[in-house]
Amino acid sequence: MADWFIIKWIFAFSPIAVVLVLMIFFNWSGSRAGAAAWLTALVVAVALFGAHPALLAYSQMKGVLLSLNVLYIIWTALLLYNVVNETGAISAIGIGIQRFSGDKSIQLLIFGWIFSSFLQGVAGYGVPIAVVAPLLIGLGFSPVVAVAVPAIGHSWSVTFGSMGASFQAMMAVTGLSSEFLGPWAAVLLGVAAYLCGFCAIHVFGGWKMIKHSAIALLVIGTAMAGAQYFLVVAGMWTLGGLGASLIGLIACLAVARLKIYNRTPPSNVAGDMGLGWALSAYLILIVIVFMGVMFAPLRQFLGQVKLSLSFPEITSLKGWVVPAGKGKAINIFGHGGALLGYASIISYLVYAAKGYYSRGALSRIISKSIKSGVPTSLGIVSMVCFAMIMDHCGMIYLLAEGISRVFGGLYPFFSTWIGLLGAFMTGSNTNSNVVFGVLQKQTAELAGLSTALILAAQTTGGALGSMIAPAKILVGCSTVGLSGKEGPVLQATIRYGLLITALIGLFTMLAAVFI
Amino acid sequence: MFNFIKKHAPNLPSVLLILLLAVPFLLYYFARSGSNSGVIIFLVIMGGVMLAAMKS
Repeated sequence: MADWFIIKWIFAFSPIAVVLVLMIFFNWSGSRAGAAAWLTALVVAVALFGAHPALLAYSQMKGVLLSLNVLYIIWTALLLYNVVNETGAISAIGIGIQRFSGDKSIQLLIFGWIFSSFLQGVAGYGVPIAVVAPLLIGLGFSPVVAVAVPAIGHSWSVTFGSMGASFQAMMAVTGLSSEFLGPWAAVLLGVAAYLCGFCAIHVFGGWKMIKHSAIALLVIGTAMAGAQYFLVVAGMWTLGGLGASLIGLIACLAVARLKIYNRTPPSNVAGDMGLGWALSAYLILIVIVFMGVMFAPLRQFLGQVKLSLSFPEITSLKGWVVPAGKGKAINIFGHGGALLGYASIISYLVYAAKGYYSRGALSRIISKSIKSGVPTSLGIVSMVCFAMIMDHCGMIYLLAEGISRVFGGLYPFFSTWIGLLGAFMTGSNTNSNVVFGVLQKQTAELAGLSTALILAAQTTGGALGSMIAPAKILVGCSTVGLSGKEGPVLQATIRYGLLITALIGLFTMLAAVFI
Repeated sequence: MFNFIKKHAPNLPSVLLILLLAVPFLLYYFARSGSNSGVIIFLVIMGGVMLAAMKS
């Protein structure tokens, strides 16, 4: 029986192994590796996990609904980026920041750690990487560093970012309150905030740069982790990521005045465009997102049209049951992608009125967006669809069960890894919490462990999974011209993702022993 | 005419993406209406699309 379980576990893991091996060792693009994993998942699901045509059909439809939610953001983020880039604003932002601080580590922390966390707070779904990566390119960082740094830097803020969508999902599936789950989640994500900052700096400059940035990392990390904890404990968990990053920005502005960070004089090169105008598109985005999220009447008005489909209960031939329910709804006018779209249109009109565009700019913007959006979208659809096959056949559950069986008393350490696995598979902390939340809760109860602690580890692992999720890496690569070359970026982020997860797992283990 | 079509026709990745997004809607329709053969035909098409995406 145990042998058969191990064999099934290995087969259930095979689609993930296919993605990892093809992307990391063979430098395949996300779209090719995702397609190969889809075919692997299909064969394994039919042969061993009782998948039947109707199950596969419904799983694929759910996969497309999930994908459309992500693609909506990606296409409009690409549009906004090209609207801005066509004016030369990206290089102007780079010049402007260099004039504020000449210190590379401060520049990297502002964009790769704080600004990306802020964007996660207001938007999420890959926007932080998609927006920040081109800005870092403008500052002179290499494409791989430009994608890897925001991927690592923003991941701690995923759970309480996007207005706490992932945390909300965990509360929904477990039936537990924010008062019960919040404090431990804020503690573990706070520890992750420091670690993400350290790793983001290490990607760029190794230990030498960490030594140089230690004061800034400690001050900003304490400000962000502390602010997040107090917001969550005070019941304002929807603003946990957003508020923490704003406090982090204030702390960074103060730290940047220290003598140690002013040895390199700021650049005095003036660009063709002022920093205010260059950043105006992002200011417009912030205003629109704030209004769309915080202003209830507008949010309700925009949220009136939703695309969704209902699904019946699905049972595999092996008895795995997926309950009936609605698929992921797409809020046509109030979705984060729609808000990015509004920002793109208004920004285009503003820049056009100021005369920043040359002839034929609109067609160039559209064709560039399509050119980089298509391969990314292919990768995302195939990845999400194969994850849905695995989910609907009980393969993901089997993977988690195997981990919990094997590691027994060490379960608190591996609970973070289960969260990471879910996010890696689906590119979403929310999906990870939905898939594994109940499993983690039940395992914690059976093992007599703190449910709040184990679920905090689950959501922290899910948040950290954002930095290694191929779906997110694809987004970042598409905006810096690395489409089809995602392997090197994944190589860069995966070791930091695994290291931070291991440290958080260790912290969870110690906490489980002492509480 | 041929040149116009050649110039404006979408490339292979675009066609594959459109198919990947469209075929599941047909799969859902046939699954809902209980047509097992319809589902199988479109699953084979989806497999073909994935195979093409893997090779391209």
